[in-house]
Amino acid sequence: MAYSELVKNFEKVRAYMREFYVYGFKNRKEYDAKSARTYDDERRRIESWLGDYMRFTQTPEGKRVFLSVNSRTTQNNPFYKAWKAKSFTDGDITLHFILFDILHSPEIMKTLSELVEEIDKYSEGDISFDESTIRKKLKEYTVEGIIEVHKQGRKVLYSRAADTDISALSDVIDFFSEAAPCGVIGSFLSDKQIEHQNIFSFKHHYITQAMDSDILAELFSAIAEKRYVTADYFGKHSNVSYTLKLVPLKIYISSQNGRQNLIAFHEKANRLNSYRLDYMSNIKQEEVCPGFEKFRQKLSKAESHMWGVNCRQRPNALEHVEFEIKIADNEEYIIRRLEREKRCGRIEKIDEHRYLFIADVYDTAEMTPWIRTFISRITKLNFSNRTIENRFKEDILEMYRIYGLDGGDTL
Amino acid sequence: MIFSELYSAYYNAVAGILTKAAEPGVTEKELQNQVIKKAFSESILTILPTLKSGRWPLLKDNLSPVLSHAPAMPLTLLQKRWLKSLTDDPRIRLFNISFPDLEDVKPLFTCEDYKIYDQYSDGDPYEDEEYIKHFRLILSAIKTERPVKVTMTNRYGKEITVRFFPKRFEYSLKDDKFRVIATGCKFHQFNLGRIKTCEYYTGNGPWNETPEAAQIKDLTLTITNRRNAMERAMLHFAHFEKTAEKIDEMHYILRLKYYADDETELVIRILSFGPHIKVEEPESFINLIKERLILQKKCEIK
Repeated sequence: MAYSELVKNFEKVRAYMREFYVYGFKNRKEYDAKSARTYDDERRRIESWLGDYMRFTQTPEGKRVFLSVNSRTTQNNPFYKAWKAKSFTDGDITLHFILFDILHSPEIMKTLSELVEEIDKYSEGDISFDESTIRKKLKEYTVEGIIEVHKQGRKVLYSRAADTDISALSDVIDFFSEAAPCGVIGSFLSDKQIEHQNIFSFKHHYITQAMDSDILAELFSAIAEKRYVTADYFGKHSNVSYTLKLVPLKIYISSQNGRQNLIAFHEKANRLNSYRLDYMSNIKQEEVCPGFEKFRQKLSKAESHMWGVNCRQRPNALEHVEFEIKIADNEEYIIRRLEREKRCGRIEKIDEHRYLFIADVYDTAEMTPWIRTFISRITKLNFSNRTIENRFKEDILEMYRIYGLDGGDTL
Repeated sequence: MIFSELYSAYYNAVAGILTKAAEPGVTEKELQNQVIKKAFSESILTILPTLKSGRWPLLKDNLSPVLSHAPAMPLTLLQKRWLKSLTDDPRIRLFNISFPDLEDVKPLFTCEDYKIYDQYSDGDPYEDEEYIKHFRLILSAIKTERPVKVTMTNRYGKEITVRFFPKRFEYSLKDDKFRVIATGCKFHQFNLGRIKTCEYYTGNGPWNETPEAAQIKDLTLTITNRRNAMERAMLHFAHFEKTAEKIDEMHYILRLKYYADDETELVIRILSFGPHIKVEEPESFINLIKERLILQKKCEIK
């Protein structure tokens, strides 16, 4: 098949974009594509969409392609462009513009046969549409909410949906396209706006979530309707996917690494669990789950002990975590840091210069990266999970070693 | 759901071409500009030639449109549902706008449906009337290119008055705070939440101060891929301009560029990876890590 900028299926592109952007160290031979041509086509497409951010380096192993984006200076998530590259047929695009030309105002209502007749006049035999094609398109557009169906006696009439005035929403759309979940939808709205000055930029801005927008929208939709979902899921260390049936409850979004997790109830295993959205594909909404509210309450109860996304409640599951830090005079900002960064637990003042942080969590390991940020002032650790405590201490010794501080302490 | 031709760059470009084509005396170059503006870098080879060839019979031979009206499509249900979701977000109050009527539309999500679980808890007060007033005044000042005069408490607790030209807002999801990016004074940015009073500045300057140019620095790290550190680090540092290189199955080099203002934050972010990330260059940054480790060693952790 001839190369095209457009694609039918987003999944393949999703995988390549992640490789190019998040990792970016593989050369052509390391991609397990079916053929070299598959790799070349995907690379060419991504370059066509995101050429400004594409970088190349030559290594002894071959050419390396990667995406590099300083998201602090980029006002619009460049990855949204990939969502605007869906392929279509010649008939699709022709019918689309003709249909909305006939139904150019919401007051105009036509029957299917009237539409068939009028569409024929436009195309003058260049391209013809039979009744079933037009009916199918109208049905599709009704689901999308852009065509409305009216019944007058036995007659079925079609009209375009009423227009929504979004002309005053430019700033709102610019901001929330980047700062709200499923921001790509805002980007679609932005395409409808007249050119204007964008007055927002973003710091600590993770743009990789854009690649999972469809998954996220499907999950939100299922949550809104309290439905089960089935999804294909790649395990953490596996290349083989398996199908899961879940009750989706809440999306956990990280502002510090951009990961998005679904917290769901797995009925078969009878437990709450978390699932990374970037490992999910092929989401399907299933039947309504009668126990949805009960499972949400279960999650709500669990949340006060979740540091990250681990919500798996084992028997006698809570792990006790305590660590003590010291501060010097005028270092109260460290205590303010503890206050604003803690996600559960409490802080106790021992004396003017010593503070204790105490929490009971499902997973101590999720807390250790945060505790390490206090390196230089940690005086005491007391984790009920001794394995993690010992590992934490060993890691610090290892850090002394790799920076040559296991002997004397001079810089 | 989202991946649909209805939102595609090609449909947008064709809509742009058909709108432009209705203007009298339009040139082919002007039509091609619509493709450059709305589609991808190689689309120029496809869109207009396909229209001209009649494969998409929407343009006549003289390049005028076959349509009688400017092409326009109503909002899809998905777009309306997303917009409706914004009405539930406390930050929407910052914008002085009346929302379109979406009464019959169900939101795609509500605040109950997601949680930013590692966001700092001292975010800006989006419900505070004074804060909202400041946001709106500065937004208007950015658009009209007018200067403002603000009073605020600096980090040492002292009240200061500053006048500047606001250029844009910078938002951090992690901090849940807005900063105002400024010119015309020696500071480059201000935390919006720290501003106590804010009004248009009506004086004549002088405007002889400029913020120091942001200094960009390089950093080289080695990642040891234990406990999934490689993936965690690549995601964690994904928002920087960076390059990565594989050394062997266990080791990767990551080179990134950062703003000097963010150095302290970056030091603690690197510490959070423990021994799985080692700073290789520059020496000054290595010393920042070492200083903290030396202090830690003196704590004699129990």
